[in-house]
Amino acid sequence: MKITTKILSTAVFTVLSLSVNASDDAHHSNQLYQENCASCHGADHGGYIAPALNADTLKGRSPTALRSIIMTGSFDTLMPPFYGKLSDDDIRGLVKHLQSTPKQPNPAWTLEDMKKSVQVYVQDESTLPSKPTYEIDSMDNIIGVAARGKYGRGAGSKAVFINSSTHKEIGEVPTGTAAHIIEFNPTNPRWAYVKTDTAEIFKIDLYSMKAVRSIKTGMNGPGIGISRDGKYIMAGSFVPHNAVILNADTLEPLKTFELEGVDPDGKMVSSDSGMIIGTPFADIFAIALENAGQVWVVDLTEGFPVTKITDVGRHLHDAFLTHGGQKLMIASYDDSIVAAIDLKERKIIKKLPAGCVPHVGGGSAVKVDGRTLGFGTNFGDCDKMVVSVWDLDKMELVKQIPVSGGTESPAAHANAPYVAVDIISKDKRARTIQLIDKKSLEVAKTLDVGGHAYFPEYSADGKFLYVSAGYNGDEVVVYDSNTFEKVASIGMESPAGIFSRGRVKYMTRGLAPDEMKGAK
Amino acid sequence: MKQLVLLMATFLIAGNSYGANLFAGQSKAEAMCSQCHGLKKPSVDSPFPRIFERDFTYLQTALQQYRDKTRKSDIMNAVTGSLSDDDIDNIAAYYDNIHPSK
Ligand code: HEC
Ligand code: HEC
Repeated sequence: MKITTKILSTAVFTVLSLSVNASDDAHHSNQLYQENCASCHGADHGGYIAPALNADTLKGRSPTALRSIIMTGSFDTLMPPFYGKLSDDDIRGLVKHLQSTPKQPNPAWTLEDMKKSVQVYVQDESTLPSKPTYEIDSMDNIIGVAARGKYGRGAGSKAVFINSSTHKEIGEVPTGTAAHIIEFNPTNPRWAYVKTDTAEIFKIDLYSMKAVRSIKTGMNGPGIGISRDGKYIMAGSFVPHNAVILNADTLEPLKTFELEGVDPDGKMVSSDSGMIIGTPFADIFAIALENAGQVWVVDLTEGFPVTKITDVGRHLHDAFLTHGGQKLMIASYDDSIVAAIDLKERKIIKKLPAGCVPHVGGGSAVKVDGRTLGFGTNFGDCDKMVVSVWDLDKMELVKQIPVSGGTESPAAHANAPYVAVDIISKDKRARTIQLIDKKSLEVAKTLDVGGHAYFPEYSADGKFLYVSAGYNGDEVVVYDSNTFEKVASIGMESPAGIFSRGRVKYMTRGLAPDEMKGAK
Repeated sequence: MKQLVLLMATFLIAGNSYGANLFAGQSKAEAMCSQCHGLKKPSVDSPFPRIFERDFTYLQTALQQYRDKTRKSDIMNAVTGSLSDDDIDNIAAYYDNIHPSK
């Protein structure tokens, strides 16, 4: 609980600095917005994981209809009901405020602000236990789930850790606002890092299941990566448009980067941070500048110099690694491609065709009959709903497999026969996961998981498939990877991303651990 | 397996004693109630009543009263307006049968 209060006070501080000359009412509404809505709708009113709410986007909308959405929430989405949480007057005030507030300019969040935001929960780390305080055969068996909590903040928001051989919860760490991404330290199995929707990063001791430190790196943004030596973290934000390199041990911020550049259409733009990735291939980070269409390669040497790869695509988002981490496959939303980048040469190899609004999630790659095949999911709901399969050695399209809707994240494992993709189209299909046979490259099965089924992930041994029944499903469901019999269910509020510690072994999900050896 | 058998048994009992359909109840609850009361239990951060702790008769009566507006709540009167007697029985049987582990 201490943690929550501390985060809240940071949030309040932010609110104050954003609204210097607002009237009392507007000030009150802005505070309500920042405390209840901004984690999803964006601290700058520009949208984040939920639509932008500002004078422009809400122009001409009926205040009564907006009030009613805020009271009852929007079914089958992440929008929660605020009836009984906010008074009727507060909701009316919020509607008025939202319909008259323009999208805010990029707020400042400097290296100094980040430094001041560091919280230390465990002063002396040598007091922590020297081995796990629970039974577990291998730390790789740990699966972390980002439990969002219904309201995107509060007691329901936490990172939940599960032993994927017993399917029992082994611990949970409250995160104040919705946990979004969980990264595991590749060199020391005791540390994990959780990033929240409001851009706090928690350093977590998996042995005692406790947060030991946290830092606020921005207002919103999921981007986080860890270097192959486990010494650095890089984090990037949507609000404001910056990224930062942290000492992974102390979370001390070392250098910030303003994200801006010339986009493929020749315009100078300020940019959201897309994916950030560390690679077993080299002591570097790669970061996507979403709107500038650039990938920056940051060397982890004195001064953290940057090599900029431009014209990669229009609206970059997420990516996965292949070839021992030397090659990066990055999705570009607006031109329906996935660009292959050579991180050694630091240039684009090729732009491969994808479906509509490619969103590769964590990506997947599998070895079948001597070929390495990459799988790419696609967010968009369009006529051509497919999962793309590429030959990653030849860098060419092999097949576009028809699936029943838009997809967000593929899961694969060297020992499991199917690649799982989550269907996210906004109707009953969202309850389902489709399973693609690795050999025939066809959909072999459709699983009805319930809730909004997303973020499939295999256990480190490949024997079990974990899926979040999100939104109102409120459970993580576990299947046998061969028979698809349901073997367990773990209850939690609005589960989303699922992250196996096994990932640090196989770099990209679906590859065997020896794929990484060549790299070192 | 044991759990499944148990579940089936409870299902049969529930089905028999109330003539209700748990699956129909679940799908209504998902579509109409889970947003506030949860499919199993409400959010720890929400102010909504924990209806899974109530028994069949209580739920049935409450829903009928909300529908008939003999019990007043703007939200619940609006939500229950379109429910049939069968819907009410199915939903009541579904929540009666829910026992979240924690
Ligand atoms: C947990 C995430 C989350 C939180 C917190 C949240 N929202 Fe939302 N909100 C959403 C999502 C997702 C949608 C889109 C729903 C849809 O597609 O129907 C949405 C939709 C809306 C809409 C309708 C927008 C439109 O263009 O139709 C309004 C208005 C709104 N939210 C207001 C608020 C207010 C005010 C708050 C705070 C009191 C808030 N939301 C908090 C996730 C959230
Ligand atoms: C938009 C939020 C919302 C939705 C959707 C909703 N409820 Fe409610 N429910 C409430 C609120 C608020 C109350 C408290 C009302 C009062 O003061 O009587 C309530 C009260 C109840 C009660 C009385 C609880 C008690 O302890 O006496 C029952 C039973 C109930 N709801 C069942 C349902 C069922 C079944 C559905 C779906 C058909 C449903 N509700 C949908 C908000 C909601």
